[in-house]
Amino acid sequence: MIIQENLDLKRKLEILTDAAKYDVACTSSGVSRGGKRGYVGNTEAAGICHSFSADGRCISLLKILYTNQCIYDCKYCVNRVSNDVVRTAFTPEEVCTLTMEFYRRNYIEGLFLSSGILYSADHTMEQIYRAIRDLRTVHRFRGYIHVKAIPGTDPALIEKIGYLADRMSVNLELPTAESLKRLCPGKSREKILLPMRGIQCGIAANRNELAVYRNAPRFVPAGQSTQMIVGATPENDFQMIRTAEALYRNFDLKRVFYSAYIPTVPDKELPAPAGGPPLLREHRLYQADWLLRFYGFEADELLSAERPNFNVLLDPKCDWAVRHLERFPVEAMTAEYDTLLRVPGLGVRSARRIVAARRHGKLDFADLKRFGVVLKRAAYFLTCGGRTYFPFRFEENFITDCLIGDERRNAWEISHGTAFRQLSLFDDMKLEAEPDRTDAKKALFGEL
Amino acid sequence: MTVFLCENGFDGILSGVYDVYASRLGIDNCRLELADGYEPELFCDVREVPREREKAKKVAETVRRRMSEEACLRLYRASLHKSPARADAILRFIALGLGCGSRILRMLQEKAVYEIFRMDRAVANEAHSLVEFARFERLRSGLYYGMIGPENDVIELVAGHFADRFPDTDWLLCDEVRRKAALHSHGGALVIHAGIEKERIEALRAEKAGDPYTDLWKTFFRTIAIEERRNPKCQQNMLPLRYRKYITEFQ
Repeated sequence: MIIQENLDLKRKLEILTDAAKYDVACTSSGVSRGGKRGYVGNTEAAGICHSFSADGRCISLLKILYTNQCIYDCKYCVNRVSNDVVRTAFTPEEVCTLTMEFYRRNYIEGLFLSSGILYSADHTMEQIYRAIRDLRTVHRFRGYIHVKAIPGTDPALIEKIGYLADRMSVNLELPTAESLKRLCPGKSREKILLPMRGIQCGIAANRNELAVYRNAPRFVPAGQSTQMIVGATPENDFQMIRTAEALYRNFDLKRVFYSAYIPTVPDKELPAPAGGPPLLREHRLYQADWLLRFYGFEADELLSAERPNFNVLLDPKCDWAVRHLERFPVEAMTAEYDTLLRVPGLGVRSARRIVAARRHGKLDFADLKRFGVVLKRAAYFLTCGGRTYFPFRFEENFITDCLIGDERRNAWEISHGTAFRQLSLFDDMKLEAEPDRTDAKKALFGEL
Repeated sequence: MTVFLCENGFDGILSGVYDVYASRLGIDNCRLELADGYEPELFCDVREVPREREKAKKVAETVRRRMSEEACLRLYRASLHKSPARADAILRFIALGLGCGSRILRMLQEKAVYEIFRMDRAVANEAHSLVEFARFERLRSGLYYGMIGPENDVIELVAGHFADRFPDTDWLLCDEVRRKAALHSHGGALVIHAGIEKERIEALRAEKAGDPYTDLWKTFFRTIAIEERRNPKCQQNMLPLRYRKYITEFQ
């Protein structure tokens, strides 16, 4: 394999972006760091998206590979060693220049650096380390950095990188060890989980240290994430979310990303889905993922061995609710917050608003609507002041029919690629984080 | 009914609130309107209120003390909203808040509170969108120059973010619609200029051709999209067309 080093920067950027685009994570959230004289950049806890590409995915970070050269032969990957593509690599200096210049023009929130494996895991990570060390020290960059850890790297090197990066991630790729063995001959489950455990321990130890020394250097402050490919192997949805749940519990992950499998290199081990990538399935998994993380659901409640896949026509929350009608309807004026969260059509923000507002007076359905409750779903599960929104038959089949009428169009549009909503935790996620006292004062007297 | 006509801006509106109270006519017999674009009505007594920093400061202090810092901040953001009814909404909110104190922010079922909540949210959302979508280009002089065209008057909020982010850079952010500009110098000073002539904006725009990184960025933007997942409708939901006029990669 020949690595083309004399390509111009534009061509390199094109090749190494093209090779990185299948990685899903592009969030810049999880850490809040103010700007400082003498440095460039800050970060915001909620994260900032800077653009949206033609596929509707957010562009927050400069997502590139350091090199698309690779010694592994993972069947699903465009950069597999047996695939005939032009190979190239950045130099640390080029990575720094691109990041800084893009950042100054407000194109990006920071850098997402991943890589194929050049010679060995250690050699590659050493190059990555040099790039982000220069970015932090020479260019005095205070923005967001997400680094992908390559399984098999020396733990000491990962630790050094962890003190410079905001987030690190190790891709699990496939939810079960068998699939991994089949599709990625060079990797094993243990090899992937090892650095993940290392980063988790590092974060935990750093937390203790920070409790004592407030100014101690921070290790991977935005936590770690991972991603799994959906639809390349025969695993069902139940296995996927069980794996995700285990990762959240045992490895303290911030996010698990799901990536609908896109056939890039044909292989006899891989399916060739007829109707394009399984976008609807990916969407349902994300919905369920949100339920696990923010709504207090457990994987076993949503699916079971007998019902291993999500309903195509109903979102996981509605699906759960119509199967548990004995818990509904819920009274908006008195129900506890946790109970409200489980009502379809209510989110974290609208539930909080209801809990705050009802202490001061009666609410009606018009109020709920203004708080952001989606009444076309919530109406079947909610009473307000003892009444339902409109009279209807409180019975599983009837409610399912009504809900499906609305959802069928959405489901069709997502699976046929005409619409896809990016999930958001809040209905108005774009609100800024609350400014502090000094900001408020400055704002008031026009000093900003 | 007595109509008080106040000036634009947070100080102007708060001076109006002060005078409404000072007139002792009773809140229900008064209305606060912006002098700008006010249509004269029949059977109304009209009074003009000049902007006075002292009065505004007193009202703001009272809001902070009796309600909360957060309430004051929300009123400030609501005052940047494009709605012509914003002055009256602020008056109603303060009138209610003086009675019930800090819990006012949670009383969303009250119309006066909801109106402020709605305006505040719209302004904060737009400011956040512009923090995301504002683009700078490097001029030959070394100045980073960006242009926005917001619906609400959010330039102060947006400029605050960039002042924190680029403390040592010279940059200029220009609101084309209101002809306002935020100028930040590498020493850290941030100044908002109002009433900039159209010609100067045009001149700056002509100067900005030839930044080599715009081309690299467009390459990146084009390449990062996955063809099999193409979805213009989702893209448009997340990045509305009205912002694209100012965004480098859509030029």
